[in-house]
Amino acid sequence: MITVRNLSHSYSKDGKMAVNDISFEIERGETFGFLGPSGAGKSTTQGVLTGLLKLQKGEVTVAGYDLNKVRNERFNKIGVSFEQSNVYSKLTALENLKYFADLFDVPTRDPHELLALVGLEGREKDRAGSFSKGMKHRLTFARSMINRPELWFLDEPTTGLDPAIAATIKDIIKEEKAKGTTTFLTTHNMYIADELCDRVAFIIDGEIRLIDTPRNLKQRFGQKLIEVEYIADSRPVKETLKTIDDGDRRKLAGIVTSYDIVTMHSKEATLEEIFIQVTGRGLL
Amino acid sequence: MIAKILRIFRRDALVATRDSMLILIIAMPIALAVGILLFAPGITDSSVRIGLLKDDGAEHIAFMENYAQVELFGSVQELERRVNKRDEIAGMVFMDPGYEIIVQGDEDPGLLNYAKFLNSLFTLGITREDATAQMLSFEKTVPPLKTKLVNMLILMMIMLAGMIISLGIVEEKADNTINAINVTPVSQNGFIVGKSLLGVVSTLGSIVVSLLILGYRDIDWLMILLVGLTSMMLTFIVGFLQGLGSDDVIAAAAGVKMTMLPIAGSIAGYELLAERWQWTMYWSPFYWAYKANDLILSKRADWPTVLVCVGLVLGISMLIFIMAMPKIRKGLS
Repeated sequence: MITVRNLSHSYSKDGKMAVNDISFEIERGETFGFLGPSGAGKSTTQGVLTGLLKLQKGEVTVAGYDLNKVRNERFNKIGVSFEQSNVYSKLTALENLKYFADLFDVPTRDPHELLALVGLEGREKDRAGSFSKGMKHRLTFARSMINRPELWFLDEPTTGLDPAIAATIKDIIKEEKAKGTTTFLTTHNMYIADELCDRVAFIIDGEIRLIDTPRNLKQRFGQKLIEVEYIADSRPVKETLKTIDDGDRRKLAGIVTSYDIVTMHSKEATLEEIFIQVTGRGLL
Repeated sequence: MIAKILRIFRRDALVATRDSMLILIIAMPIALAVGILLFAPGITDSSVRIGLLKDDGAEHIAFMENYAQVELFGSVQELERRVNKRDEIAGMVFMDPGYEIIVQGDEDPGLLNYAKFLNSLFTLGITREDATAQMLSFEKTVPPLKTKLVNMLILMMIMLAGMIISLGIVEEKADNTINAINVTPVSQNGFIVGKSLLGVVSTLGSIVVSLLILGYRDIDWLMILLVGLTSMMLTFIVGFLQGLGSDDVIAAAAGVKMTMLPIAGSIAGYELLAERWQWTMYWSPFYWAYKANDLILSKRADWPTVLVCVGLVLGISMLIFIMAMPKIRKGLS
């Protein structure tokens, strides 16, 4: 669905690259996570793929269209949900969706159904200008589905949403995946990526350091950990110990026999920990 | 693509009904047209007015009523007060051995000459039956003051077209929706045309309504609309540039208002400069628009002259358009 070969992009003429010679492919129906901290090159890559930024160098095909040959009709197959909500304040929620539906050349979804899907039923006739930040974000998310996209770009889809709504959004993404929609998910939230993505790419300083499935990454880089909290000298102490390290195993045995244990959990390495391990940098 | 362009226009029109500033901008020219009609008495009337005393001879009053619109006054003071008002009227008072003509001093020479002419005819006892000439025309079919005011109003409406576009772009920027449009099948050219349509339709509509209110029913409508449409091109460019370069409505409106400078300069140049210095204004498309409108409103226009003016307006605007387009495209990306 997406093929990227040697993509580079720069915002300046001093040779400093925002994205430097990256290559990857995304299969039809795949949910692909693009993980990296702010300024890593995530938005630039998504900007090029969505056509918001001009392709400067490299070969990119998106939904079967070569980006070197600009054809606006490709947007009939593409949906984009932006991190920063962008809806018309002076139009109602329903008018916003109807307006954008009319700009596509393909059969579109029922705006009422989409508004209900993102929890905005009953607010159809309210102007978007009166909405909270979270509601605007949901309206932006709903709009990205209006043209039944085959390829869906999601930029931080759950940022700023309360946990219940975020869970609803994640469920919608899973439902769309079940229908065969290909999703390009840009995020710095490793939990979202871990839960939703078939594969993730770690990008930092404009370069992709690694691409794999979350499961493979955990197997390759993750270490089984034990988090233990105990009382020593009347004070609580918390330690994280590796189960594959002999020293840590002996230390854990000593703690269990010598102190009062408050809590003890086994723990897998998170994608964030693996990201730090691979790139030497955090996701925020 | 036409359906999408019309959809953008329909959205803008809907938003305009919810935006008090846009409503004001669209309605203001109509209000000004009504103002011109109400507060400039007499400028819609091109007939000659003669003021006489009520105790003037019935024969003299009847004679004057044949050739002018006569107003009667009780005293010389009343007649003088009337003459001192803004519109043009010539007073006639009998002072032995003949009539004395009272004028304000700044009247059209044609009025004074006509009053003198009528007075001579009456004094010499000449009537219409004695006339051998067919017609004497001063070519004042439309009052010049009215033509100038209406012409200025039209150019102001054209400037407002730019402001409407500018405010539309500022709205898109404030709502961050340009990116959302850029990921739909609407092309950038389609978006630019769509965003321009509200300015075009509302301005041409305002021009038509204003001219109808002001009594210009028998002008060449095709000519006036063609000149209006072409002279809007430059204000569109200014509207897009100001909209893209401004972060709020006030800044955008202030920027577009700067267009008034070349408009006012063009009008002043056309009206005040001597014939040999007129060439100094040839660079301004508004100069040619004002000139064309002046001819059309005073019913002296012919198609070759209007087309030359339109061609020059288009040519100059196209040059500016070519220079400005990369910046507009970049701003909309």
